[in-house]
Amino acid sequence: MSVLPWCVAAWLFAVGIYGVVTSRHYVHLVGCLSVCQSATYVLLLAVGFHWNAGPPIFYDHPPGTPAVDPVVQALVLTDIVIGATVTALLLAIVVQVQKLSGSVDPQRLRPLRPNA
Amino acid sequence: MRARWRAAGLAVSTVALLPAAWSVIVAMPSFGEHVSPYGAAVNAVVPAARHVSNMVAAVNFDLRGLDTLGEESMLLCAVTGTVVLLRGARGEETSGSAIRLPGRAIAQRSDATILICRFAATLLFFFGVYVALHGLVTPGGGFQGGVVIASALLLLYLGEGYAHWRSIVRGRVLSVLEGAGALLFVLVGLIPLAFGKAAFQNILPLGTFRDLYAGGTMVVVNAAVACAVAGGFTLILLEFMEETRAPETETEPGEGG
Amino acid sequence: MSWLTGIMLVVAAGAGVLVVLSRDPKRQLFALFANGLVLSLLFFVLQAPDVALSEIVVGAVVVPLLFLVALAAIAVAKVRE
Repeated sequence: MSVLPWCVAAWLFAVGIYGVVTSRHYVHLVGCLSVCQSATYVLLLAVGFHWNAGPPIFYDHPPGTPAVDPVVQALVLTDIVIGATVTALLLAIVVQVQKLSGSVDPQRLRPLRPNA
Repeated sequence: MRARWRAAGLAVSTVALLPAAWSVIVAMPSFGEHVSPYGAAVNAVVPAARHVSNMVAAVNFDLRGLDTLGEESMLLCAVTGTVVLLRGARGEETSGSAIRLPGRAIAQRSDATILICRFAATLLFFFGVYVALHGLVTPGGGFQGGVVIASALLLLYLGEGYAHWRSIVRGRVLSVLEGAGALLFVLVGLIPLAFGKAAFQNILPLGTFRDLYAGGTMVVVNAAVACAVAGGFTLILLEFMEETRAPETETEPGEGG
Repeated sequence: MSWLTGIMLVVAAGAGVLVVLSRDPKRQLFALFANGLVLSLLFFVLQAPDVALSEIVVGAVVVPLLFLVALAAIAVAKVRE
């Protein structure tokens, strides 16, 4: 139990990378990238967690009750929203790839080469 | 055999990195036993120093406001990139009818859908404004409220259909909303410099603890972030939806506008 | 409540595997929705209500919708050429 979150974070990242490497559709690839991102969220929030501590909101509880770390929560919060925006940018690139080369299969597309 | 090489490379690197990963996992502090000193200091000091009760929002908008400005500009860049990519290839005209794909059935929208979407979108919009406004006292804030507002505007599309939706939700209004939010954030950071104080310093009166408008400049930054996030997300989805529209004229893409 | 945290962590790991194993993007949408839901519950259990709120809206509503619209745009681009 004391190493479970770190193992889950490493597992999620490895599974995401496996999905990226063996993907046959670019949209599926972008989904696997979001799994990699969620690995970092789990890691950060688990670093800030403390047993028998509440959330860092002092509206109902007086300030001074034990609370978990708010700094990592702030990091993950902005990261989630901005990560969705970057996912949108990646999907726009995928749509352009379909328009320009007619296929969204990563294993059928070759890198661009200058015409000799 | 490129796929085989790639999979083999992945397997080799996983096997090679596994002992390193395990040694790091074992060296990490035990889950839940470690108290981070910066977080404990924030929890102890900030309620009295800034008169807000949501520590996460205080860290986001005041203590580490510079990082949030960086994230805000990342949002702006990603939205701009998406719009430029999609609109640049398609042109600037809009149209009201969807492309009919061969073999796809055209489903009629039922009255129940329209009615429920109208109710739900209105409620959701006000819920988003509520979450954004109460960001400094209860869980919530500009980021969450902005995304809820964006999803309310998208629920409208489900009920109204594309042509009506475009007449309600306009691209220019969303761009102005997003840009104004980002600009307000930058101004809140730079205006204290004109008064001889540090950048991003909290110069407005702080208010009383647990009040809705306590926190000084955090209230302004909260509102700016909500506007920027709502405008940005809706603009992204609007651009993607435009991709599925039938072209009205036969002009070359990129020559319009 | 350590058993609850442990269960949510394991379920989150399983949801990530489900997203990767759904090869068809149209099926991956639902896996992404489930992933967002499970992650949001995990964040809630880890005493982070702000983050859970953000993850629920983004991970379960906006991202699957984005994927759906991107798939529609790809289908339209395929037909147009």
